[in-house]
Order: sequence, then structure tokens, then C-alpha cells
Amino acid sequence: MGKILCAIRGGPDSRPTQEQAIALAKERGDELIFLYVADVSFLDRTAAPLVVDVDSELELMGWFQLAMAREQAAAQGVEAEIIVRHGHLRTELVAAARQVGATLILLGRPLEETALFDQESLQALAAHLQAATGAEVRAL
Amino acid sequence: MLNRFLSHAKKRCCRPALILLGLALVWRLSAGPFHSSALAQEKSPASEAGGASLAGRLVDPQGEPVHGAEIAVLVNGAEDPVAQTTSQLDGSFVVDLPPGEMETVVVEITRPHFWPVELHLSPVNVIQLSSGGSIRLPDLELTRRLTPGFWVAILSFVLILILIALERLHKTTAALLGVALVLGVSFVGGALNPDLFIFDFSRALEYVHFDVIFLVMGMMIVIGVIEETGIFQWLAYRSYRLSRGRVWLLVTVLILITSLASALLDNVTTMLLMAPITIQIALTLEINPLSVLIPEVLASNIGGTATLIGDPPNILIGSYAGLGFNDFLINLTPGVLLAQVAFIIYVMVRYRREYHVASSRLSAAMLDHLRESGRIVQPQKLIKSGLIFAVMLLLFILGDLIHLVPAVTAILGAVAMLLWIATDIEEMLKVVDWTTLVFFIALFIVVGALQEVGAIGLIAAGLGKLVDSSLIGAILVLICSATLLSGVIDNIPLAATMLPVIAFLNHTVPGAESGVLWYALAIGTGMGGNSTLIGASPNVVTAGIAERAGFRITYLGFLRVSLPATAITVAIGTAWLLIRF
Repeated sequence: MGKILCAIRGGPDSRPTQEQAIALAKERGDELIFLYVADVSFLDRTAAPLVVDVDSELELMGWFQLAMAREQAAAQGVEAEIIVRHGHLRTELVAAARQVGATLILLGRPLEETALFDQESLQALAAHLQAATGAEVRAL
Repeated sequence: MLNRFLSHAKKRCCRPALILLGLALVWRLSAGPFHSSALAQEKSPASEAGGASLAGRLVDPQGEPVHGAEIAVLVNGAEDPVAQTTSQLDGSFVVDLPPGEMETVVVEITRPHFWPVELHLSPVNVIQLSSGGSIRLPDLELTRRLTPGFWVAILSFVLILILIALERLHKTTAALLGVALVLGVSFVGGALNPDLFIFDFSRALEYVHFDVIFLVMGMMIVIGVIEETGIFQWLAYRSYRLSRGRVWLLVTVLILITSLASALLDNVTTMLLMAPITIQIALTLEINPLSVLIPEVLASNIGGTATLIGDPPNILIGSYAGLGFNDFLINLTPGVLLAQVAFIIYVMVRYRREYHVASSRLSAAMLDHLRESGRIVQPQKLIKSGLIFAVMLLLFILGDLIHLVPAVTAILGAVAMLLWIATDIEEMLKVVDWTTLVFFIALFIVVGALQEVGAIGLIAAGLGKLVDSSLIGAILVLICSATLLSGVIDNIPLAATMLPVIAFLNHTVPGAESGVLWYALAIGTGMGGNSTLIGASPNVVTAGIAERAGFRITYLGFLRVSLPATAITVAIGTAWLLIRF
């Protein structure tokens, strides 16, 4: 039985990715793991004082998003595991894939206005993940 | 060095020392300026023996005192001076002359970035000095000189702004680079060419407002304790429960909570705490989180304008202008409240469609998640920190009566938090954002370099010519320019640069001595920060959090909502100032 790792952020972009991940897991009988990466690097852009544990706040938000994804999977008869990691997306994706022993990593395709990555960066990320983890990588 | 300090502080014996150090700093800040012209003006043996003395005061074209000028007195055509001195912080100087017959007296005044002055005293004055008398010269205005050091200071400041705007370097690194440039050129370049000299360390540090540093540091510790309690998240969750699905009510309450929190704590912290749970609440109601987040962040910038401690530009203004908590409360808060009411009406109209389609089909498990995100995690800490904060507010308000400056109140509050609640000082010191404090110090030094070389004076003179002597013109120009610039430049360096400009306008524009221009700057930098996505730090962090949740706030998307909001609130704020003053 394989393991499918699906990184999500939440939001409208993640919805198609989640649905396809659930469909794939159901079809293949694989385990499904949803991953959220709490990345606080955006804080470097501000010049104001920061005293909040932003990591914890993003973690809580991430658990909420993941719980919604897990409910969506459960509604279609698929049991999903959820994990939150902290750090840079690229690094944590690799670490999470190794941690869970993922055989397939799913990445969402960038949509026009809301993409975290453009098409080229996504393909470069996919290549990097494949090389680092040995898992199959698909951009949905 | 900090690590060594921290490891030493682990020892219990050092905690009282740290507290004493804090109190000593508190005393020092309350005692007044670091330098006193009175101390430096002790009588020399010559004057005590009844010798002649020559006094005066040096000012720049903006009427600001010129400190550190070398004054030399040459008598009877001699090449070497008979007496020398240096002008003090207030620009004054006193030169004691040895007794003796004088036929001619020449006073030479030199100062980097000013044209040298050679003053030939009149025969009447010479006779008076010869007979052992003292004379006081009228205030002397020195003329600015554009030197290579002038361009170094300008380029260093512009470089910092560009590096921060383009995100090429961390903001603190960029500011430290600016400091390295101005000081490096001063010391190394100044030895080769005196016109490259800007200032030395002691002069550079005079531009650092340590009361701002301690106020920000104290508030960081206070906020660091309060935010751990989960009070903000709890308030947001209670708003959701209270609204019972009525989104218009939820948004109104969230706007008021965010605004109040931003006025009393700081708006970046407020948004960092409110944004994640707001997103969860919006998802629960199946509405686009951006339709709640954007109004919230706009409200936080508006609310932060209301008080002295609401945002960093106000802290800078309060420190520089000597304005207290009550000054902002009386002169600015009512206008901000009016602007906030108008803003809420605008939001309800703008998002009327989005707010009508809410529903909630979340499972019990998801509602449990939401409840978990919105609970008070440390009730005991909340009670204690709430009490201390209430006392702090009282001290902010009563501070003027008992000569207690806001920085001291902040330190007292921080120490009270450390003693009563968070006894692990190492943990609390981690809460302090030292890189930001270093950024402030570096920024003060670089802006100080601009003042030192006369760049600020040029801006001030240009602005003075633009407004002529019209107070209304000055208010409108300041608010408009600060609002427009806040949209593209971070409002902290903008405020820091504008402060000496306003100090000049206060002397030259009739009616400006009321202080109205300080509040105009507060409105421009505070509410102006709403105009674009990069206009203020809360906007940037909110966009970052929203993106982490899969909802990206685009630049144009933000503008469509923020520009009308900025226009409405700035107009109301301006109208308030015109009526009030």
C-alpha cells in the first residue's frame, strides 16, 4: 500500500488538489496524508516590532485547514492523516515525505492570480522533490 | 555580548541587579537631557578673576541651534586665538578672554557643513571687552554648505529605503549598512578630506531617542505577556458566537476590537493574533476571509492612529515633540473615532453582497477546533496582566500631572510583569524583538546624518516656501504628502525624517505652535498607511498570513478597497484638525 502526501494551504486553490488527492487515494487504496507548512518568512518584510509567536498562530490555522480537508476525505470514505510542519515549504516537503515514507507527492497547479509558485518554479520544485525523496511527484 | 549578559543573568543574584539597572535607566530618562549647557558653562578662572567674556548663540537657517561649532577669538591681528570654545547643545557659547588691551577682536566660527564665519567686533564692543566687560552677541545664523558628506548622507538614506522596499536585505541589515556608510566615511574619509566628515559617535548617538527605544522595549514585554493569554483570539471567537451568523454584526465587532487593540497595544501584534482566527471564522461561515480581513487590517491602521502608543510613528512624534498620552487623547482620538464610524459604514456598503450569503454547515468537530483556537489559555496570567495594563493606562493618562514620561510607564509596566507574572527574564528577553530595536537605533543615526548635513533643513525650507505662512496650507500639504508617501515608503522612516521638518515649520508658520502639524503627520502616516498593500506593516503581515491560508491579497485587489477607505478617513481626520485647531 502506497502513501500519498498532499501539501495544502487551504483556500480555493487547494480544493481541486484535495479532491484529486482523495480520489486517487480511494482508487489506489493508498494512505493519504495532508500536510500544512507554517512558513513565517513573510515576517522579514516588515519594519515593525514583532513579539507574537506567529508560528503557533499559523499552526492553529493550519490544523483547522487540515481538519477541513480530513472531513472532506472522510465524507468520501477516505481516512486521512494530517501533519503540520514549521519552516520553509521546499525543505519541509522533503522532510515530511521522508518522515512518512511517501511514495507519491501531490502538488497543486498554480492558478493565475493566487499562485504561490509559477509553472516553471513548480516544475523545478517537482524535480527537486523527486531527486531528494525518490517518490513520484505529480503536479495536478 | 548579549549571550554573556543573559547567561550571567541566570544567576538569581543578578535579577535584582537587572531591576536596579532598569530603575537607574528610568531615573536617567526622567532626569532630562543627557547634556546640559549649564554644566558645560562653568566659569573659568579667567572670568572668575573678572576677565572679559563674549557670549552668543548659533542657529541654522531653520532656527535650530548649532551644536559643536568651534569658536575662536583672535585679538589684535594675531594668528593664534587667545581663547576657544565649542557651542553647546542649545547653540550657546561663552568665551572667556584674558585681560589685556585690545584694538581689534575677530571671532572665527567653523563647523562642518556650514560656511565659516569671521565676525569683526565693532569698536564699541572692543572697548567694552578691553575694560573687562562682557558682551552678548545677537543670535548668529550660519549658512549651510553642501559638502561631499551631504551627498553621502543622502545616498545612504535612499539606499536604505530602496533595499527595504525591494527586500534585498533585512531591514536592520539595511539600516546598519547606512550607519556603517555614514560613520565609515566620516572617520576614514574625514581624515582625508574634512568635507567628508559628517559626525562622530557621540554626536551620532545624540540623535538616538532612547526614550523611544525604552518605550518600544517596555511595550514589547507587556504585549509579549498579554498575547500569550489568548485574549485576542477569545474576543474574536466571542464575536462569532455573539453575531450568530450575522456577518455585518461580526465584522463590526471585529473592527471595533481590532481598532481598540491597535490603539492600546500595537497594530502589527493585533493583526498577527486576529488574522488566523478571523480566517477560521470566515471559513466557518463560508465567506471569503478577505472580505473580513481587509476591513480588519484597515481598521487596525485607523485605530493605531488614535493614541501615543498606537503605532511607531506616533511614538516617534510623541517623543520628538514632547507630546503626552493625553495630548493625543484630546487632540486626535475624537477625529479618529469619527473616521472609524465612517469607515464602518463604507465597509457595510462595499461588502453588502458578501455579508449576505453566509451560512455555516460545519461539523461539531470543526466547531470544536474553532473553539480551541479561541480560548483563554492562561486565565491567571490574563487577570494579572490585565490589572498591570490597567494601571499602566492610568499612568499614561495621569503621567503629565506627575512628570512621568511614557517610556518610564512602559518600563514600570514591563518590570511589574517580570516581577509578578513572568519571572523567567531569559524567556522575556527573547520576547523583545532586538533586531527591530537595533533598526530603530540605526535609523535614528542615519536620519541624524541627514539633519547634520542640512538635508532635512533643505526639505524644511522648501516646504516652508510652498506653504508660505498658511497654516491650512501646511496642514493640507503635510497630510497629503505623508498619505501619498506612506503608500510607498515604510511609515517609520518617513515619520522619523519628517519630524525635524515639522519642528522648523512650527517656528515659521503662524498658528503652528499649537502643535497641529504633529497630529497632521500622525494622520498622514497612520491612515496613509492604508492606501496600499505595502503602506504599513500590518498590511504586509496580514497579506502574508492570508497567503499562508491560500487566500492571496493582490496589490490591486487591496487598492480597490483601501483607496476609497483612505480618502474617506483622511478627509475626516483632516476636517477634525481644521475644526479642532
